[in-house]
Amino acid sequence: MMSRRHAEVEELLGVFSLDAVDGHEHEWIEGHLRICASCRREVDQHREVAALLVTSHATPPGGVWERIEGGLYEPPPPLALGPVPRSLRRKRPSLLALTLAAAAAMVIGVVGVRDVMQERRLERIQASLLDELPHRAALAALGNPQARIVELRGTDPAAKARVAVLPGGQGYAVIEGLPPLPPGQTYQLWAFIEGQRISGGTLGTQPLVAAFHITGAVGGFAITEETAGGVVTSTNQPVVIGFFREA
Amino acid sequence: MATDDLTQMSDGALVMAIARWGQGALSEAYRRHGGAVFGLAQRLLADRVLAEEVLQEVFLRLWNQPERFDPERGTLRSYLLAQTHGRSVDLVRSETARRRREERDAEVSPEPDYDLEREVQDLMVGEQVRAALAELSDGERRAIELAYFGGHSYREVAVILGEPEGTVKSRIRLGLRRLRDSLMRAGLVGS
Repeated sequence: MMSRRHAEVEELLGVFSLDAVDGHEHEWIEGHLRICASCRREVDQHREVAALLVTSHATPPGGVWERIEGGLYEPPPPLALGPVPRSLRRKRPSLLALTLAAAAAMVIGVVGVRDVMQERRLERIQASLLDELPHRAALAALGNPQARIVELRGTDPAAKARVAVLPGGQGYAVIEGLPPLPPGQTYQLWAFIEGQRISGGTLGTQPLVAAFHITGAVGGFAITEETAGGVVTSTNQPVVIGFFREA
Repeated sequence: MATDDLTQMSDGALVMAIARWGQGALSEAYRRHGGAVFGLAQRLLADRVLAEEVLQEVFLRLWNQPERFDPERGTLRSYLLAQTHGRSVDLVRSETARRRREERDAEVSPEPDYDLEREVQDLMVGEQVRAALAELSDGERRAIELAYFGGHSYREVAVILGEPEGTVKSRIRLGLRRLRDSLMRAGLVGS
């Protein structure tokens, strides 16, 4: 049954690649492509060939790029951070409390934390070394159809982050535009789990990419500015925040 | 990021820069591929306004969903042109566009007249693609023309050519494979 179905799909791969199939066939083939690497590869090859047939091109008319530019930045969502439950509020966490909280909180491994002095050099390295593990892993996670993805925004339109959480709990954050913090401070990642804000660990003074692992039903993420070393709980307004929008 | 750096970037690095909200990177992608995207959309839609809308939509989608591009699956150019083609075909097959296209076809000639070779004008690559096209049978070339540049479904192509649907499907698939083999020998596509 599977072989017959696969053979039927194979017959349609050429026309599918040229968008020459009808609606219901299109959906059927797309469903098959999600699970069949060899058919996906064939479609990619056909599309690459089709793209080469388009070797002549017209100059884009004036005004289109300006319209594209105008559509790049939408106003950030209003910050709607709820109060931290009273039971979790502490002014000065004790060492014991920090230890217990660390055991109860998510485990996060932070990679890619850089200081200001290395920022430009590392941007060049990051741009050229796409197979550098955390960046490629982050990009792969963002492109994984099974990932839950959320965009974090703040009042500063330049500050933002994209967070992808994979089904097994592995997650990545790609962070942009956070102003560098002075010594003695750090950014800290938070996850909203069942109405509580749970620390995800510190990110350093100017983070770019972070990898982490979480358990639990996450509703969203936020990043705050804290004192170096981080805090167990925070009532600081997030620099960026975002919530998953479930379909 | 310096403009010189952007012009030297690979597709993957460019999209990574776009993913980090690099507007300069998006501008570079537009510089590289905007013409091809607009040209294909205009060719399919025969409507400059609609082609501009498709051009805008394709690049805004790249900005908002850069993660959809996987450098392992092909070039940024083929990804953008696939997006362009799919969106343009959706518009072509809408009722309004179909009426407009029928009126246009009726004015120009009694039959659709899609000359694939007209599309191939870039000098060096064009010569190699023209040579590859010449190796196809008339049936294979015509079916690909009608499907890709005409925006027709394979069922419509079968009716236009007076051929069975199975024949059309086979010709298009085989024709694309033979084109790929020729273009691989010419060094235009990887193995």
